[in-house]
Amino acid sequence: MTKRFMPKDRTMKDDYLWDRSGEPDPEIAKLENALGRFAHRGEAPDFSRIEIADPLSFWQRIAALRWTYAFAASAAAALLVAAVLLVRWSEKADVTNRVGWNIEDVAGAPRIGSVVIAQNTTQSKLGIGQTLITDNQSRATLIVADVGTVSVEPNSRLRLLAKSAGHNRLELERGTINAFIWAAPGEFAVDTPSAIAVDLGCRYTLQVDDSGAGLLRTTLGWVGFKLNNREAFIPAGAVCATRPKIGPGTPYFEDAPAPFCEALSKFDFSGGTPEQRNAELDRILSDARERDAFTLWHLLSRVDDANRGRVYDRLTALVPPPTGVTRDGILRLDQPMLDLWWNQLGLGDVSLWRTWERAWQPNKS
Amino acid sequence: MAYESLDLSASSAAEDDSALVLAACAGDRSAFGGLYQRYARMVHGILLARVPSSDVDDLVQDVFLRALPRLASLRDTSRFGAWLSAIARNMANDYFRKNKPESAVTDSLSEEDAPEPPARPTQHVSDSEAAMILAMVRTLPETYRETLILRLVEGMTGPEIAARTGLKPGSVRVNLHRGMQQLREKLKQAGSRAPVAADGEQP
Repeated sequence: MTKRFMPKDRTMKDDYLWDRSGEPDPEIAKLENALGRFAHRGEAPDFSRIEIADPLSFWQRIAALRWTYAFAASAAAALLVAAVLLVRWSEKADVTNRVGWNIEDVAGAPRIGSVVIAQNTTQSKLGIGQTLITDNQSRATLIVADVGTVSVEPNSRLRLLAKSAGHNRLELERGTINAFIWAAPGEFAVDTPSAIAVDLGCRYTLQVDDSGAGLLRTTLGWVGFKLNNREAFIPAGAVCATRPKIGPGTPYFEDAPAPFCEALSKFDFSGGTPEQRNAELDRILSDARERDAFTLWHLLSRVDDANRGRVYDRLTALVPPPTGVTRDGILRLDQPMLDLWWNQLGLGDVSLWRTWERAWQPNKS
Repeated sequence: MAYESLDLSASSAAEDDSALVLAACAGDRSAFGGLYQRYARMVHGILLARVPSSDVDDLVQDVFLRALPRLASLRDTSRFGAWLSAIARNMANDYFRKNKPESAVTDSLSEEDAPEPPARPTQHVSDSEAAMILAMVRTLPETYRETLILRLVEGMTGPEIAARTGLKPGSVRVNLHRGMQQLREKLKQAGSRAPVAADGEQP
């Protein structure tokens, strides 16, 4: 049965899915035909015959009571006590009243600042500027309906920097988060001590250790990772390490050969003599599979001028550059040409990143 | 007044909603009936994404009955759709709080629990096949399944979903796109498990 609903042409006909304009997508039309039988067909009730209790009637009855001076005095005293209690309670419960991300699925004793979140609390909220802290026994999940979920693992510190329409920003000071984001690409970002991760439509895990070094692992979609002018795009199945003051290293697929990964790590972060770096680059270029073309694409902007031609030649052998991309252009790091070549890799349209990166410069809240 | 005949285009929907809400607040029950005509599909879809289909019709009415006495508390009448969506989602949550677990998952089929597809597919989709597809949609993340059900089950367009639910059109479009991607993956996986021929093929 289900094969009948599988696309023969996997190209998304989004116009038809969106508003039924354009050529009907046969697959979606079949799904509509199959599922339309579950649509609402109930008759409207006759609301004129339905008796609805008026929620104001109770207060109207209270207002109609004859007030005596004694009753009024008692009521005033009771109101005063209630007001004092309310003020004291609101000071303690401030976290529930602020704009922020809801906290759910609490385990152990995570804290917002110094205040422990009770496990039976249903309305805890991480307000802007507040930090969620988990110890080695606790975890929690942050949720915003239109944005996504972020589960915070033990031994983590996560601060909410901004929350507004189209702009949600967290700071992972330490620990691990798992983010599943369904907001539009570019609307959700996480600062770390060594890079900023920008959602481009994805699910990913981000770890930061006590030194500020980080590791981002994408499991769905792709993520942009950036510090100053050093950027990395991490598609599903790939990882990327970061180091303070250096920024994102070169991302690679997790199934890449171990010597390839080790050489990348040394090349990105170990420094070393020019000879050592050349040897590491030799290893990377010789071990790169076709699938690792995206890693070599990143290396184009990470190697020195003298070595860029070597990377260009190897990348060309794996994925030939598209029309409009020239060797000279790549050697001088022409951004439009680099972007064209990236799009040729089929891992995502880089224009998404170029559109949104301006809004997510580090230190912009 | 024939409320059902009001312009349903997205641009005028909020304005018309406000007129209906204000009339309903003033005691005009037929105006509230007009709101029902406009939003019943949306409410039905939101509920169908969460609770067993056998209980959805009753819950649709309950949502409107819960909304009616509270209309006066709606400060921005143009946000009626978003407000009603929240009530529907809360009703679905209440449903699970009040019902025993076994009744809550009556037809919330996992892919493994879904009925086996028939060996010889016909052009017409059988009820069991349709139920299986619905079960697959309902295994998607909540945001995706709600939007996909509004689109594929209730027949609402993306702009209509955005106008009715108060979500941003961009978010709806992304939800539809990603939800459809995930549904395709699930259909593909199910297709590779089942001994079924593709369109036009004989098993």
